[in-house]
Amino acid sequence: MMSTRKKDTVEVHEVEMEGAKRSLILGAQATLQAVYECPDCPEPVRQALSGWVSWQERVEITVERAIRSPKQAPQWVAALLALGAKVTFLEDEIDESGLVDYLARVNSKRGKLGGVRLPLEVSERVWGEAHVGRTPADEPIVAAIAVVDLDSNVVRRARLGLTGVWREAARLAEAAQMLVGGPLTEERIQPVITALDGEVDPKGDFLGSDTYRRAMAGVVARRALEDCMKGVSER
Amino acid sequence: MSKDSVTITLTINGEEQQLIVLRNHSLLDVLRDKGYASVKRGCNVGDCGICTVLFDGHPLRSCLMRAVNAEGHAIVTLEGLGDGYRLHPIQQAFAETGGFQCGFCTPGMILTAKALLDRSPDPSEDEIREALGGVICRCTGYVRVVDAVQRAAAMLRGESLKSPIVMEQTLPEDIEKLELPEGFYRRDGSRAPLPPLVLTPVDMEKTQIVGKPEVKVDAVKLVRGRPVYTDDVRLDGMLYGELLASPHAHARIVSIDASQARKLTGVHAVLTHEDIPRVKYASGGQSYPQPPPFDQVCLDNKVRHEGDRVAVVAAETRELARKALRMIQVEYEMLPAVVDPEEAMQDGAPVIHDEPDTEGIYDTEHNIVHRIETEVGDVEAVFATAEYIFEGEYRTSKQQHAHLEPHACITYWDEDDRLVIRTSTQVPFHVRRMVAPLIGLPVKQIRVIKPRIGGGFGNKQEMILEDLCAHLTLATGRPVRMEYTRKQEFTSSRSRHPQIIRYKIAVNDGKIEAADLYLIGDTGAYGTHGLTVQMVGGFKGLTLYNPPNARFVCDVVYTNTPPSGAFRGYGSMQCQYGIEVLVDEIAEHLGLDVVKFKRNNWIKVGEPMHLAKQLGEGREGYDQAMETSGLVQCVAAGLKATDYYAKRQANQQQGDGPLRRGIGMSVMMHGSGIAGLDMAAATLKMNDDGSFNLLVGATDLGTGSDTILAQIAAEELSIPIEDLIVYSSDTDFTPFDKGAYASSTTYISGGAVRKAALKIKDQIRKHAATMLEIDEPESLVLQDRKVVARDGRSLTLAEVALSSLHQQNQHQIMTTASHLSYVSPPPVASQFTEVVVDVETGQITVERLLMAVDCGRVINPITAAGQVEGGLAQALGFAHCEEMVFDGEGHLTNPRLGPYRIYMANEMPAIDVIFVQTDEPTGPFGAKSVAEICMDGVAPALVSAVHDATGVWIRELPLTPERVWRALQEADLKYSC
Repeated sequence: MMSTRKKDTVEVHEVEMEGAKRSLILGAQATLQAVYECPDCPEPVRQALSGWVSWQERVEITVERAIRSPKQAPQWVAALLALGAKVTFLEDEIDESGLVDYLARVNSKRGKLGGVRLPLEVSERVWGEAHVGRTPADEPIVAAIAVVDLDSNVVRRARLGLTGVWREAARLAEAAQMLVGGPLTEERIQPVITALDGEVDPKGDFLGSDTYRRAMAGVVARRALEDCMKGVSER
Repeated sequence: MSKDSVTITLTINGEEQQLIVLRNHSLLDVLRDKGYASVKRGCNVGDCGICTVLFDGHPLRSCLMRAVNAEGHAIVTLEGLGDGYRLHPIQQAFAETGGFQCGFCTPGMILTAKALLDRSPDPSEDEIREALGGVICRCTGYVRVVDAVQRAAAMLRGESLKSPIVMEQTLPEDIEKLELPEGFYRRDGSRAPLPPLVLTPVDMEKTQIVGKPEVKVDAVKLVRGRPVYTDDVRLDGMLYGELLASPHAHARIVSIDASQARKLTGVHAVLTHEDIPRVKYASGGQSYPQPPPFDQVCLDNKVRHEGDRVAVVAAETRELARKALRMIQVEYEMLPAVVDPEEAMQDGAPVIHDEPDTEGIYDTEHNIVHRIETEVGDVEAVFATAEYIFEGEYRTSKQQHAHLEPHACITYWDEDDRLVIRTSTQVPFHVRRMVAPLIGLPVKQIRVIKPRIGGGFGNKQEMILEDLCAHLTLATGRPVRMEYTRKQEFTSSRSRHPQIIRYKIAVNDGKIEAADLYLIGDTGAYGTHGLTVQMVGGFKGLTLYNPPNARFVCDVVYTNTPPSGAFRGYGSMQCQYGIEVLVDEIAEHLGLDVVKFKRNNWIKVGEPMHLAKQLGEGREGYDQAMETSGLVQCVAAGLKATDYYAKRQANQQQGDGPLRRGIGMSVMMHGSGIAGLDMAAATLKMNDDGSFNLLVGATDLGTGSDTILAQIAAEELSIPIEDLIVYSSDTDFTPFDKGAYASSTTYISGGAVRKAALKIKDQIRKHAATMLEIDEPESLVLQDRKVVARDGRSLTLAEVALSSLHQQNQHQIMTTASHLSYVSPPPVASQFTEVVVDVETGQITVERLLMAVDCGRVINPITAAGQVEGGLAQALGFAHCEEMVFDGEGHLTNPRLGPYRIYMANEMPAIDVIFVQTDEPTGPFGAKSVAEICMDGVAPALVSAVHDATGVWIRELPLTPERVWRALQEADLKYSC
């Protein structure tokens, strides 16, 4: 849903009603700490800001900086992607676009960021996260966050954000679309993982070779989706 | 005001200030320039968090914020806490609990804790750890830091503190009857800080001051953030020195043109190899004569590793000095680099030291700087008839010390035209002796002052900056300050020797009867410590099980990587990792209980250490035997605390899911100083009020050595430690001490202090006897700041002092004593490690580290526990995640603290410490050492735990996820989810 209201504020956060649905607006100049402390902050976002993002970093990094430079907090960006975040702008000519599109643009064409909009109330939503790192609080070598929206146990929308397996710090996997239209089951997850292997294009470094990152993409993606499955069964 | 400057208004510690700041200066730069010395520079890129200040009440890294952006905001630094007299409760708690060691991260820790407690007066332990997760501490393992914050929170809530700082218990004669305090069983799986547990034999002599958790003598100044470190002072006319470091791993300098740099206004000196006499030296701070080879010069015409010295500049500002560096034109002839020691030894490998003036290299063409060969017994004869022969190869990586205070040095001429070197060093006396020939001054014209040190771990047992800084002062006549950047710490200082460790062991009837160790030690581009680290490795690695037939062969090899040097653990931890894993593998192969197999074989009390004479440190050693050992008790305590056998059994039936639990154990030994070589002296001087100056050349680098030395003196003199004013160290005023290394301070320097205390005690008794007209001074007893006669008469120490100085037989009661030992009694310990291994990813989560250690008598259980806890954290990094990774051309790929990875507070496992006290007859009050043994056992225990979890032996460190994953893939470990 497109908002027509121009945003020029830099408030920490604002919960905005859009018809019957609520959205959380994260002001561009809000700090990640403000996001972290926001009582309406979706859990995947909050979790992505704990552990490997320190308090100091959350205080210093604004939403805009983290979006413009996703390497600062890649898991957080992955979480936003998986939650279907949209970005709002301060210019009149562009109101809003998907975060995916925004990240795909080169810097000069991105526009002046107003904030990030996160839908808050999505019925039948489940999510899951998995990662691998050298130590528990080290920035993950590879991480996955999955958010699946269902309609009577049929996957209506599936987003799988991954870090550490593309040149980009964080990106959505196309393969997750294969889940749409059916139930969330192990049998339907496996083809996603197989397809993901052909989709990722990791670059090895001292943390993990490209071979390892590719293998881990499958492991953490499967685990994140299995987490979602557990969420379905626990609902 | 220049166009680059701007005036800002901000509040600092409650006081509004207007400051003129440069637009590109960080808040950290400005605060330090304005005298807020508590704000520390650790990395300048936001990795370490020690520069944290409170910014409108939030913790913020001041190195990353431009000062101009602080306009209108409120800043609090550590100077703003407490008042002029009283400590803030958080500072008080850090002081009382040992929540700091070197103190360099302490301002960041305390301010972060304050921000937390201001928001959350009763935080959970996890909340505390999470809050502190942005500040690195390299010394403590965070155990006492978390404890300090918990105690501070309780104090601020007005609650009384019930939990003890130390737990003490009698050690039962039958160790099987040992019952530990409930917390040590960790049945709830928590990682909450536990006080250290001290187990004392029933017949051990009682002490008054020794053995007590005295607050460190430097506590107040460190928790207040006072300007006590090298770089915390500013001298009039001081210039900034900067080093041009080589971008190449191996190259010849064809030409170097500094003319443009020299023309810059404000640049006072640019020095290259063309400007400095070529004097050969070795940078390792060791006793005279230093082990060869002398393969370095201050500035050379060839670079042998990335980060090697090329030129130095002194200028009015740091920025100008760096600008000058950029203007130095260097033409390099690129040479092939070799980073693998085995490749470096091959025919045709690039020759790293092809200069004609280095003597003492064993095989220049093959880059072998030393070859060590020694043997006792007849190894081959035993192998020829052995029931079993086992072989294993183990590899360790290059670890960086990552002390948070970088190398820093200030040099200046004093009013008597003597050169003063104020430097962050572990070896002030060695530095004075070593630097003299390099700068062409006699020793008597040099004074070395060691202020407080912000951590060293061996890296400051080197002469890293002192010679260059001194050359700049000689060239300019001005005070010069130099400090390494964090990148330079990685590439231009020292690091741990990577080793390839090949053991061959013969076992007959369950006994290890022969051992052969072939070691390749990668010394990097220079040979400093190359010989001695490997000798210690060979000695400890072959003495833990002490077979009568043992052979050690070692090649110390040059590579085009930053030089390896002294690092806590010093070869011993690498070789004990190898032997411990192989012994574990042998026990598995033979179907033996590994604990019993080890117990059956480890060195026992009364046994001679067979290689002690052959493998001294850089020279022949002395015959030694094991005099005391609490290893049986240490192992028993660990087995009990961890419920080891029950867990091992349970781990065999844990199913085949991806998460597998494992527990491992290891045993270890270390040394206490270098036998027959390490010498220390101490001076005690009595003052009018009965207090004493204790002057020591020993260097407290955060270990608490100043405190325990004071405790040793206080115990002998029967005074509280606040009656001792400890000063260390200054080559003009304190007596010689070899410095802080080789686990020697408690044992060697402590021995000197005790001797001095005994001597001055005699002087006091003698003078008191005169005052009391008693013929037998030896009949007098020192007690509670008094000298007491048998007849009940007494004199206060102040009365004795006043009399001796002003009234009767006037003289200064004062003495100096020296100490050297021809034995180096080994502390021993057991290490237990519990892990969860994710067999799909290779990720290891370490849940608990427990060490039970016999370090003789514990002089101060808090500082000793701090040594163990911090050492375990460093050892965990060595075993699990820390690794300097080089590309094929010798470039370091991760020269930052973030990518390098040091464990943080929010991910640290539970760390528990149990002391099993013994009474070492040669140690002060029975003490041995504790500083390094904690490094030796984590790696093998971790490997053992991973094997327990997965059935796979991994023989290369660190156990990074990919390395574990690949090992599991090769083993084709099956699992299902």
